[in-house]
Amino acid sequence: MNASKEYPPGDLAMWIFILAELLVFALFFAAYAFSRANNVELFNTFQQTLDTDSALINTLALITSSYFVMRAVADIRQNRQVECIRWLLAALSMGAVFLIVKSGEYVHHYSAGINLRTNTFYMFYLSLTFFHFMHVLLGMVILSAITVKTWLGDYSATEHTGVETGASYWHMVDIVWLILFPLVYIMK
Amino acid sequence: MNKTRLADQPYLIRPCTIVYILLITLTILSWLIGKSGISGLHVAMLVLLFALLKGLLIGDYFMGLRSVRGLWRWPIIVWLFVPGSLITWAFFITA
Repeated sequence: MNASKEYPPGDLAMWIFILAELLVFALFFAAYAFSRANNVELFNTFQQTLDTDSALINTLALITSSYFVMRAVADIRQNRQVECIRWLLAALSMGAVFLIVKSGEYVHHYSAGINLRTNTFYMFYLSLTFFHFMHVLLGMVILSAITVKTWLGDYSATEHTGVETGASYWHMVDIVWLILFPLVYIMK
Repeated sequence: MNKTRLADQPYLIRPCTIVYILLITLTILSWLIGKSGISGLHVAMLVLLFALLKGLLIGDYFMGLRSVRGLWRWPIIVWLFVPGSLITWAFFITA
């Protein structure tokens, strides 16, 4: 059976929004990389002050949450609302892990007197990761809304565009982090 | 075979789970490289390649773009190529 479709899963308006968001992050990444090119020593020195263990936990949490969201979409397509809700709640818990770990990092930096004015590296690190942090937060609001609507019986095997739309946004948040993680924490 | 419903296929280990394990493995490899302290252009490019591959896997298998034809098949692939190229360029000029 040829399963090819003309449009991606979910609402097309969300995909336009996703592309706009990805463009902004691409500019951010390029700005970071070329600023680093002018201050290699500074970036390499302060990159070593970051907690790569926390970054690993956050990366694993986001990948796992994406997997859970994908399973939720697969279940709602089969009209399995209860299973769909369970996967969505599991994904939300992984999102919460990300927010808690990242908040811990911010508290650590703040107590060490680090802020946007400390140096160019920290300006990029804090603004990039906080911008992404806000996207995770928005993604969790969307996933929560989908979970409630699924629980209310608004989604089924025949009508599940909302679940696919929210899932697409969440995967976008994950993809952005997958580039951010090595760029900011590892590559030197 | 419906490519968009990988999670529903009756395998011992679902293809989507294999993709998930691959994503986790590549992430841990990147982290280990970072932990080891080794650096240099080739190492940075290897880590970037892992990241781009992971993005491709998420787009194709988790977002379901693998089964989309035409224009909408490409946004994630093109997006990964753009920052990937710019980051590569920026690292090359400092090597």
